[in-house]
Formats: sequence, structure tokens, C-alpha cells
Amino acid sequence: MLKFPHRMRPRKIQIAVGAGQEGRIKRLRQIVTGLVRYERVEPTYAQADEARQYAERLLYLAIKNGDKHKETMEMADYWLLEKDLVHKLFKVLVPRYKNYTTCFTDLHKLAVEYPGSGLPRAVLELRGNPWPPIVPRQRDTRYLLSNILLAGARKDYHISKQKAWEQQQQQQQETSSATLKSSSSSSSVDSGIAEIDREVRQEEGSPVDEAAPSSKSSSSGPQSVADR
Amino acid sequence: MATAIHNFQFVVRLSMSNGIRRICRRAYSTRKLTNAEVRRKRVELFDAEKQRQLALVTRVEKIEVRHKGVPEECTLIMNKDLSTPFNCAMHIHELLMNRSALALVNGEPWDMHRPLERDCELRFLHFQDEDSRVLNNAFWRTCAFILGHVLETAFKDEYYVELCSFPPPNVSSGSFVYDAALNIGDWQLSQTELNCLSRIGYRLSYADLKIQRLEVPVSVADQMFADNRFKQEQVSAIAAKSKSGATVTLYRAGDHVDLSSGPMIGSTAQIGRYSVCAVHDIESPTFGKLQRVQGLALPTQLTMHSWTYDTILRPRAAKLNTGPLPEMRKTQTPKELPAP
Repeated sequence: MLKFPHRMRPRKIQIAVGAGQEGRIKRLRQIVTGLVRYERVEPTYAQADEARQYAERLLYLAIKNGDKHKETMEMADYWLLEKDLVHKLFKVLVPRYKNYTTCFTDLHKLAVEYPGSGLPRAVLELRGNPWPPIVPRQRDTRYLLSNILLAGARKDYHISKQKAWEQQQQQQQETSSATLKSSSSSSSVDSGIAEIDREVRQEEGSPVDEAAPSSKSSSSGPQSVADR
Repeated sequence: MATAIHNFQFVVRLSMSNGIRRICRRAYSTRKLTNAEVRRKRVELFDAEKQRQLALVTRVEKIEVRHKGVPEECTLIMNKDLSTPFNCAMHIHELLMNRSALALVNGEPWDMHRPLERDCELRFLHFQDEDSRVLNNAFWRTCAFILGHVLETAFKDEYYVELCSFPPPNVSSGSFVYDAALNIGDWQLSQTELNCLSRIGYRLSYADLKIQRLEVPVSVADQMFADNRFKQEQVSAIAAKSKSGATVTLYRAGDHVDLSSGPMIGSTAQIGRYSVCAVHDIESPTFGKLQRVQGLALPTQLTMHSWTYDTILRPRAAKLNTGPLPEMRKTQTPKELPAP
């Protein structure tokens, strides 16, 4: 129902000494009322975070049930301290949010003011409000020349990884089939070097031992250097 | 001994009249061509043609240029066939003058130093625009063009480098390419030698050469590229494809002149890093054995960490670029020449 991550337990909200539960609820109602009136309010973070859920719930019910529904009207009457806002809720906000698939509010953290109360502050706003945006529009840097080059390099890297992985799979399959075959004839051949050993055996016609591959590599050493 | 020979030459040169000397030089040039001579000839022809075209503008007419974008939208009264987008930028702001690499005239890419032809709407592009793909391609093309300059000037006179062509720019391939017959035999360029080539290209950014565009008739282009067997064949094919049917578009930076359909960026000062990364042997179906020289560059306006550039991009640029091979098709334009 609420389309944003939220915490189900109440926050620690300091309002005034001895304000109690009533004071807390009163503050939340004030914030919801202010939000509907001004579309952007700036309470402390804890208050904004908790009031947000009630505001969202109110908007959700208003959209779902419309203004003919008794319970919803009671709910609006309870949360909106100024009664002209009930009209705004059903005539302005419900049409605005009717087709929204996301949540209807945004919450932004603000920097802690110094000197000040020291409490973390936040901005709670209704989406689609007429104020200038809080988060500036991010420039699209996809088509910068450097980013195109890097995207190409990244793509190449992933393709090479994929190829290497496929090759490895293929080799494993081959070696497993080779060990299956060789295990019936001789069990002493190591599965990892089975392929190399077989080639060496074919070329030199000698039985497999430790010296055969090393002597071959040493003999081909100077030749490869000469090739370069 | 050496001084004796020098003295002898001195005496001979003194005794020769101008005409004889020219004949001698021509005889020498037919025997053994050098890139320096050929380039000098091309530049002279380019200058002469440019003067001829300028002389055709006898009466200065005014056009209205509407500039859109930062710092302000304004209307300028400029000279028809004389004023360029660069001149407009000079009137508006120094920032535009320095960073603009390409202009959009009525939505069409237009070189910074190409004269405006009619009333138009003008926008300037730079490398940090949101969608700079048109400009990126122009930059890549320019870098390939500059690679031609590097190849022609880098080697000693005994190596006659014949440039062939460069494929259409493809930035995501990781490297720009120039296909040329380097005529250096078995010489495999080492990393140090490639770095030396890179440095020639890199130094051009300090030279701040403006890149000029000129449309010339086929006859002039034929004369210009008579010493290059590849370009010679391409000229007529390109001319056939052009709008008027008998002109070829040339670009010039400093003393380098080359065929290209453009557009290109405004100045070599806008090329920041420049590296020549690899030389690969290729076999063209019509031009035979060639070398594919590959490079990598970044605009001055974009910065990148050296680690990223040296460890990721440069090794990638050294791998063989699989762009189309130079090829001449019968009764059609060659595939390798970049489309606008």
C-alpha cells in the first residue's frame, strides 16, 4: 500500500517537555496539514519521516474511496486541521495522483544547522508541486566521448569473460570425457594434462613421463625467440 | 671531400638560371618523390584555389544569423560567403570561441571555419554537451585526418608514405584508423617509435592549427593527388557522389591537405591527448597490401585519469580495428570514405 520503504515502529520525537502522546499526534497532524497546504514543509527528520506515512495513507484512501466514502471523509477531517483543505485534497490532489504508480511524497535530508537545535532536518514535499526542484537535474553523461570509449571497453571485457568461461566449460567437458575414456585403459594419467600428454605421445612416440613435456618446451624455446 | 662536393653544388647552383633549376628539380622529383615536396605542392594548390574562390565574392552581402543557446540568444548581421561560425562566436563570447568545436546551422553540422551561405539559425556544440554524438564523430574523423599528417611527416624522406583512406568514424570501436602504404619494408615499429609518432600529433594541439574546409573542382583535386595512387582513384568516385557532381571536399590543417567529406572540429587545440597505438598489416581487395595505423585521442575539454587511459583504453586501441577495409567499387563511391 505505501509505496516507499518505511519503518513500522514509532520514532523518537521530541516536541516539548510533558507534551505526551497527544502533543506528538498533534504535531503529526500539523505537519500533514502543512504539507497539504504548502506542498513542501521542513520539520525535523524524525517528524517528517513519520508524518509522511500518514499523509501517504490519507492520499491513498482519498484516491481509492473518493469523497462519498464516510470513513475517508472522517479521516480527512481528522488529519487536516484546516477544513478548506478537504476540498483541496479531493479536487486538486486526487486528480493529480490518480495515475501515479509511485509514492506521492518525497523526503530529502537536510544538513544539520549549526548553531541550532542540532536535530537532523528534512524536507517533506508532495510530488508535482510548483516549487523549484530540490535535487537539480542530473546531466546525462552517457554520450561524452570518454564515456563512450569506456562503455566500449566494458562491453569488450564482458564479452571476453564470457568467451573464457565458455572455453573453460568446453575444456572441462572434454577433459572429463577424456578421463572417462583413459580411466578404462590407464589410470595413471593426470586429467589436467591429459590433452597435452596425448599430443606429446603422438609426436614423440614415447611413453608418458615427467621429462617429455619439459624437454620439448626447452627445445622450442630458441625457435620461438627467433620468431619474434 | 664533403666540403668539396658542397662547393661544387654551390657553384653549379649559382651558375644555373631559374628555369633550369626548376627543370632539374622536377626531374629529380619524378625520380624520387618525397612527402615534403608533395605536401608543399598540395598546399600551394590549396592556397591558389582558395584565393580564386575568394575573388569570386565581389560584393559583400549581409545575412542574418540567429544564435540559440548560452550565453544569450541574439541576432548577428554577418557577411555572406565570408563570415564563419567562428566569427560569430568571436562576436558573442570568448568561451564560445575557445570551446566550440562544431556548429549546427539550421540543424545541420557545419565546420567552425566554413563560411555561412544564407540566413540561418546557429548553435554551437562542445564536448560536454548532453548528446555530443555528432561532435564525437567529427572529432574522431579529425583525429584520423591528423593521423594522416603524422604519418606523412614522421618518416625520413627516403620513405614515401602513401595515405589511402580512413573508415567512417566509430568511437565505440576504441580507435581511429588510417589505412596507408607506409612503404617501410619489414620495419616493425617499436613502442618507442609509436610514442614518437604520438608526440607529433600531441604537439599539434599547441600549434593551434585551424582546420579549414574547401570544395574544389575535380581537376584541382586530380592535380593535388596525382602523386598518390590511392587518392587519385578515389577523387573521381567522390566527385560523382557529390551534390554538384564535379567537386571534392578537402580539409586542411597547417600544411596537411586531405580528402574528407567532413565535418571536422575547429582547431587542433581541441585535441588533448593523442596516441598512435598500433600498426597492423591488412590486405585490401582493390588496393593490395596496406598498413592500418590505429590511434586514440581525447578532447582537451575532457579529462581522464592516466591509469584509465593507459591501462584500459590504449591496449584496447592497439587491437586490430575491424572497421571496413578500403575498397573501390565500380561506378560507386568507395565505401571507406566517411559519410557526412
